[in-house]
Amino acid sequence: MAVLVAIGALSLAGVVVTPSLAVAAPLSDRTPDRQIGDEPPANPIYRKPDTMEAVLRYATWILVPLAVIAVAALLWSSLLRRQVAQRTRQLQRELNERRQVEMALRESEARFRDVTEAASDWIWEMDENLRFTYLSERFYALTGIAPRYVLGRARWELAAGELTTDPEKWRRHRQLLEQRQPFRDFVYQTRLSDSHREGRYLKVSGKPIHDARGQFGGYRGTGTDITEQVEAEKALHESELRLRRIIDLVPHMIFAKDRYGHFLLANHATATAYGMTIEALTNHSHRLIHRTDAEVERMLVDDLEVIESGVSKLIAEEAFTDHTGHTRTMQTIKIPFIEPGLNETAVLGVSIDITEQKHAKEEVARMRLYLRNIIDSMPSILIGVDPWGYITVLNQPAEEVSGLSWETAQGRFFGDVFPQLENQFEQVRQAIHLGRPIKTPRMTFDVHGELHYADVMVYPLMAESASGAVIRMDDVTARVRIESMMVQTEKMLSVGGLAAGMAHEINNPLGVILQGSQNVLRRIDPDMPQNREAAASLGADLNQINRYLAERGILHFLEGIREAGSRAAKIVTDMLSFSRRSESRFSLVDLEDMLETVLRLAASDYDLKKKYDFKRIAIERDYDASLRVVYCDKTEIEQVILNLLKNAAQAMAEDGTPSPAILLRTRREPDAVLIEVIDNGPGMDQKTLNRVFEPFFTTKEVGAGTGLGLSVSYFIVTEQHNGRLSATSKPGQGACFSIRLPSSREALP
Amino acid sequence: MTAWVLIVDDEEMIRDNLKAYLEDEGWRVAAFAAVAPALGWLRQGGSCQVCIMDMRLPDMDGNTAIRILNHLYPGMEFLIHTGSSSYSLPEDLRALGLNEGRIYQKPLNDMAPLAAAVRMLAAMRETRP
Repeated sequence: MAVLVAIGALSLAGVVVTPSLAVAAPLSDRTPDRQIGDEPPANPIYRKPDTMEAVLRYATWILVPLAVIAVAALLWSSLLRRQVAQRTRQLQRELNERRQVEMALRESEARFRDVTEAASDWIWEMDENLRFTYLSERFYALTGIAPRYVLGRARWELAAGELTTDPEKWRRHRQLLEQRQPFRDFVYQTRLSDSHREGRYLKVSGKPIHDARGQFGGYRGTGTDITEQVEAEKALHESELRLRRIIDLVPHMIFAKDRYGHFLLANHATATAYGMTIEALTNHSHRLIHRTDAEVERMLVDDLEVIESGVSKLIAEEAFTDHTGHTRTMQTIKIPFIEPGLNETAVLGVSIDITEQKHAKEEVARMRLYLRNIIDSMPSILIGVDPWGYITVLNQPAEEVSGLSWETAQGRFFGDVFPQLENQFEQVRQAIHLGRPIKTPRMTFDVHGELHYADVMVYPLMAESASGAVIRMDDVTARVRIESMMVQTEKMLSVGGLAAGMAHEINNPLGVILQGSQNVLRRIDPDMPQNREAAASLGADLNQINRYLAERGILHFLEGIREAGSRAAKIVTDMLSFSRRSESRFSLVDLEDMLETVLRLAASDYDLKKKYDFKRIAIERDYDASLRVVYCDKTEIEQVILNLLKNAAQAMAEDGTPSPAILLRTRREPDAVLIEVIDNGPGMDQKTLNRVFEPFFTTKEVGAGTGLGLSVSYFIVTEQHNGRLSATSKPGQGACFSIRLPSSREALP
Repeated sequence: MTAWVLIVDDEEMIRDNLKAYLEDEGWRVAAFAAVAPALGWLRQGGSCQVCIMDMRLPDMDGNTAIRILNHLYPGMEFLIHTGSSSYSLPEDLRALGLNEGRIYQKPLNDMAPLAAAVRMLAAMRETRP
């Protein structure tokens, strides 16, 4: 009976246990050989200790009452057949209860499966030879690698690539496994020659498995695919590198500093400027690195200002001395920013080297000033105009002439500012149109009633950006006057040359005329005894003859011949004065003595005495007491002064000047001795004044003068004495003739 | 006894005018158109105290003539009467006692100063030992 019960219990147990095992089957259905192995029921328990224990516990709980019921049924079957129906109902009730337990088991199992299936990890197992024996379903789902490529292989067989690139890592890992040590977070990259999904990054942890006897049974652990994470990290790293390369490539200084002046960031340009590596510079204090204290303090003040205010600041120009001691000019912008990982505001700066631009700018300014100086230094009047004649530029002489500053004159029509140039507008147009300069030589214009000459040149501006013209005006009055004087001088010299050549030939016939007429007059003179004798011997009455000659005007004609001859002789003498003389007749002459001599000569001069009433003229003297002697040809200068006195006297006599006066004035000038003959006569107009020294120019009536007097004087003073003879006069205001003789002998010819 | 004045000038009317004026002043005048006839006259016994010499002459220049006459007749005094404006006295003639005062530029407006000079030179000759 007891044996039967035991058999029944066993058989019943076998029947009842089977479904409970079947409940756990899905957990291990990939390892069927295992269930037939040495420790079939222990496996699920081991795999999931918490749920397995619960299942086992439930199974035990179920087996015991079932066994009791079976034994009771065997014992009581025959005896309590009657009670079978009753028992059947009881059994059915029990069965219901069992179903409920089974359902609870299934729920628990499903929960476990959901957990494993939903997990981002998979579960793996390897045997004691370290070959994979099991991979949970998640492996394929997470890595995309089919388990068949993995199972039966060792881990290192999955990572052929790393095995060669980093053998040391695998050597350590393998050593660890062989020592049967647990490991955590071992990361490796798969490389399976027969799988298309390779290059996955896996992170695994595992611990060795030991059976109840402590026998090593392999490894079990979890794994996770971190490929996305690794690749994201890699991409991030690459992007960081790229940004780093970019800021290092930028030639401007890019840097970040905290409020204490420590560099948080510096690019290559910044490091180079400090002569350091980027690494050395980073986290260093600006104060310690920068050599010029004044600069660093100023920069730190700026930094702090930006950090405190939270507002960017542009430093248009600042000095920066680099590690070589070379000072550059930088333009810097400082921007507040929050460094990741730091809560404090830092400052981000970008500094651009503007030294070259600044130099270029300064050079432009310097050049502008230089050009301005050049045009201002030109003696010419320079007026820049646009194509419509509006002023763009004036140089200093132009400002002086117009009385307007450049700024005031700008934009005004040049003809309004320079009325004397008004008629040049056509030339401006032409010059721009034709693209070549147009010259107007010796343009005449009036300056305070005085005739002036100017050379006017209009240059077109050819530069691409600027169209317009420059009007250049040179006052050439002095030159024109000198030129006309030179022309006159040349004329005089040729006259002198001609006169010298023919003087001999003319002087003889003149001598005949003059001497002949003198002899004629003498020999008809009744007072002369010889004449009377000769007349008496012929029986003629000399007095009667003389009366006859007078009556018929013969004496008058003879006087006329004599005077004409003498005038011709004077012309020849004057013309001869135009030939150059040697210096041999020069000597030191007492100036006052000479002037007094001339005054005496004038007083005894026939013309002055008889025609021009020299006695009436008041002679005033204004002699410079410091002047004693002058080096000159005394007779020549005497002739000049006498000539000037004669001219003055004649002009005043003709004019009928009420109280004629002549002032003789001497003055010492820096390089010259000045002798002036000033009268209060009728004066001259500009036209006369311009021609006064011209040979044969005379205002006197025909016969009154040779027309050579002043030109001879001019020649004597300018050519023979290297001096100057000038005249100033205005109608009704007298005339002033100024002789300037060089005070040094070297200046003489 | 009236003294002689020698005139050498190639211009006939100049000669005649000077001669007439000086004769009116009481001098005896020998006038020649060139140096050679003047020397001929002197060699034939002509004698004079003062000579008025033109510079440009047909046979030689006045300076040379003065040198020759001075050599042959050391007592003779000279006045120069020239139409050349550029005439300047050679140094050797200056050494003979000639100076700018002896030079009379043609044309002579008035012959009186020349006649006065002749008189003065003749008087000088007279007083000289």
